[in-house]
Amino acid sequence: MELKSVPPNRREAWGRRILALAITCSLGFLALLGQLWYLQVLEGGRLHELSEKNRIRIRPVAAPRGILFDRNGLALVDNRPAFTLSVIPRELEDRDAVVARLSVLLKIPAGELMEALERVAPDSIRPVRVRRGLTLEDVTKVEERKLELPGVIVEVEPQRTYPTSTFAAHLLGYVREVSDEQMKQGRYRRGDMIGQSGLERLLDEYLRGRDGGERIEVDAYGRPVQIMRREEPNPGAQVVTTIDRRIQEAAEQAMAGKAGSVVVIDPRNGDVLAMTSSPAFPLDRLTGNVERDEWLRLVRDPMTPLMNRALQGQYPPASVFKIIVAAAGLQEASLTPMDRIYCNGEFNLGNWTFRDWKPGGHGHLDMNGAIAQSCDIFFYQAGLKVGGETMARYAHAFGLGAPTGIDLGGERFGLVPFTPSQRARLKRPWQAGDTVNMSIGQGQLLVTPLQIARMMAAVANGGILWKPRLVQRVEQADGSVAYSASAKMTDRVELSPVVWAFLRHALASVVKDGTGALARVPGVDIAGKTGTAQTIAKSDASKGQDHAWFASFAPASDPQYVVVVLVERGGKGGQVAAPIARQIYEAIFLQKVAQVAFGESG
Amino acid sequence: MLRLDRRLLQNVDWPLLGAAFFIIGLSVICLWSLNPGRGISALVWRQLSWVGVGLVGLIVVVSVDYRNLVRFAPALYVVGLGLLLSVFVLGRTVSGARRWIHLGPLTVQPSELFKLIFVVTLAWALTSGRGERLSRAALIGTFVLLGVPFLLVVRQPDLGTALCLVPVLGATLVGLGVRLKVLGGLVLAGVALMPLGWLMLKPYQRDRLLVYLDPFRDPLGTAYNVIQAKIAIGSGQLLGKGVGGATQSRLAFLPERHTDFIFAVFAEMWGFLGCLVLIVAYALLVLRGFEIAAGTREAKGRILALGVTTVFASQVLINIGMVTGLLPIVGIPLPLMSYGGSSMVVSLTALGLLLSIRMRQFQ
Repeated sequence: MELKSVPPNRREAWGRRILALAITCSLGFLALLGQLWYLQVLEGGRLHELSEKNRIRIRPVAAPRGILFDRNGLALVDNRPAFTLSVIPRELEDRDAVVARLSVLLKIPAGELMEALERVAPDSIRPVRVRRGLTLEDVTKVEERKLELPGVIVEVEPQRTYPTSTFAAHLLGYVREVSDEQMKQGRYRRGDMIGQSGLERLLDEYLRGRDGGERIEVDAYGRPVQIMRREEPNPGAQVVTTIDRRIQEAAEQAMAGKAGSVVVIDPRNGDVLAMTSSPAFPLDRLTGNVERDEWLRLVRDPMTPLMNRALQGQYPPASVFKIIVAAAGLQEASLTPMDRIYCNGEFNLGNWTFRDWKPGGHGHLDMNGAIAQSCDIFFYQAGLKVGGETMARYAHAFGLGAPTGIDLGGERFGLVPFTPSQRARLKRPWQAGDTVNMSIGQGQLLVTPLQIARMMAAVANGGILWKPRLVQRVEQADGSVAYSASAKMTDRVELSPVVWAFLRHALASVVKDGTGALARVPGVDIAGKTGTAQTIAKSDASKGQDHAWFASFAPASDPQYVVVVLVERGGKGGQVAAPIARQIYEAIFLQKVAQVAFGESG
Repeated sequence: MLRLDRRLLQNVDWPLLGAAFFIIGLSVICLWSLNPGRGISALVWRQLSWVGVGLVGLIVVVSVDYRNLVRFAPALYVVGLGLLLSVFVLGRTVSGARRWIHLGPLTVQPSELFKLIFVVTLAWALTSGRGERLSRAALIGTFVLLGVPFLLVVRQPDLGTALCLVPVLGATLVGLGVRLKVLGGLVLAGVALMPLGWLMLKPYQRDRLLVYLDPFRDPLGTAYNVIQAKIAIGSGQLLGKGVGGATQSRLAFLPERHTDFIFAVFAEMWGFLGCLVLIVAYALLVLRGFEIAAGTREAKGRILALGVTTVFASQVLINIGMVTGLLPIVGIPLPLMSYGGSSMVVSLTALGLLLSIRMRQFQ
């Protein structure tokens, strides 16, 4: 053992050096305390905020969209849970890699994902919805690879579901993510689903509700640990419409495969019970992610499926207009019910010859018969007696040439000639031949099926023009009524009761033993008028393809339903449109019979 | 040999032991609170059992005269070198470094153990010469003797351990009164070698250094640890968030939170005041170590006490310095706090060495 004793003077030096080292170390500890003071006290507030941002995520909870009901409480649309792929930009560690992985996994173009992500700030903690309507298979794929996809989540959102793809498509309208243009209005948040057409758009404010949200605590891997605060979404309001789902369905079935429109309204209050337009567009396909090609196909389709023919389709009223001519003539006393003519199928005016639709003519007819048989020759002469201006005045009185005031947007006005402005547009003097054409609803006259329905309702109810009503009331989730509408009369046609009675009788005989015989339903008195509108042949193939009208109400003695059918290029009104009306009446009245028989309350 | 003299027991340094066990207590609370609510986790039990093993080491070292230990230095050195070499053969690669070897169910980190062997070898090499003054030959011999294992540790790579050995050597040389000229020359040589060192570094180590210079270079990559640690520490503010509120730690935003970054966990939970208490405890321990070194007359004891104290001090300063963002990130545990068997056993054994020297100061 080699003990080395150290001399005292060196011992002192050793002590001094150790002291120096100890002081050095102490300075090190002081430096640490200084840094801790800086971080914890001076910077503490800011860093505390950063730690909160680290752990807290805000997840919106989508409010279920309000449900639309028919007048009997049957749902017209409903919601079902749907999966939405969302990305939280702040949690994306490597945006390009995650986007590439998602793109391959779900076969979504990477550009589409990038586009959605580029619209928001890269450190946003709010999820960006990049794709809606994931299939269960897609959801499984994403969940399985959760760890490779940081910042990617699958949200459950309520999404619209429809009885059938095209059910009441134009009436209900489709719901879709807010567009860039709509964002500019400042009322929406990105990713909001809003009504884009029909009732969904009209009532969007009520239907949308208010989204709730969750503050959740997540761990470093983005896994939720706990919900810290949850604000429940405010569900959208429920809408009770005037639609009768069973009539709507019957009308759509009857129109299957045909282009055109059916409007069913209640002449007692103007309630719209059914309104169809065909061909219709697939609601469900427009709700989620619309492929660009599919959208373009819809927009460019020559059959214009996006157009609501009930209020945007304009057609010559053809023989349906004879009701106006008769009403005008009788009220103005230029015609009487006793007027009789002999119809040989031809009518000469100057150098012109106008023909009846029936070769050889109808023989001897009075006015009632002329309406029942839809005799053109009778009405050529009648029209000349009444005069173009008077016919135009009565057409206006019955609401033609003007909007019906229905709440759905985009309504067309139709066209009634012989008003000063229309005459100016004609660029040539009004001639007797124009009057003759007008008297059978041809020429420049244009009407929408909804206008004709309102006109027929006025005939049925003795002159009241209703504002067509679609929405009865809107009820908030708490039961309070946010909106309600009662029947609203916009105008009234003043005719002598004798004239009304004559018109109703004549229209009843159209179905009883006239051109509308195919609309007959045993046990129900139906009054109506057929119409066959000549169209300008676009090609040889479509030549002779006339628009078929049938405008009617029932029961004739106590009218409760107005049914107007228009079939585009369908052929003769009596042969094509009248049977469709019959199918609808059968649905209405057989259903009624069933209700009475089984004691249903409604 | 294991029989303890009564007189020796009277000289047990209770403040030193007290500070050490106070810190160990904080460590256990910290580890427990990382997984609260489910009783005492396996982690805490394991740490406690390592404390037990460490205590055995401590008692063994206390009961042995440290001079005998220094005499066995060459043997210890050879064993230590063997263990360091075995890492390259048996080692398990964890996050890019081979630092651990398996002994049955245990994983041992030879570089931890080597810190102690380094100090003992240092004491042996610097005192085995004949004269009282340090000869140039002895100095060079010491450098060669310690340079070989040092390079092995760097190659593992375990930059942290290697880095904390440098101040140990420096402090020992300063303590021995090596002239400032010589020390200056050594520092210059070190500086001159730095570019070479840069080339020897692995890419991730270079990244760490660059991140130290500018943490927001790559906030989600390499700098993630630094930023999250700073957020954790800072968000503790003056009084801390308490055990339940330490979201950075509990929700795993903080990396390596049982081991190298445990100080950030502590700082988040207990705030500045807690940190003050902990750092005062460490300072107490280190300054007590220096006091023991200063009060020792015998040369081997002096060097040993000084070496052990600087091993402690440099680990604490480097670890807390790196966690608080004052120093670049190197893998180095916080003695007595971090979870890990090798570190705990070695720390307690080193403490035993200090106690042993203190108890025999007046012999």
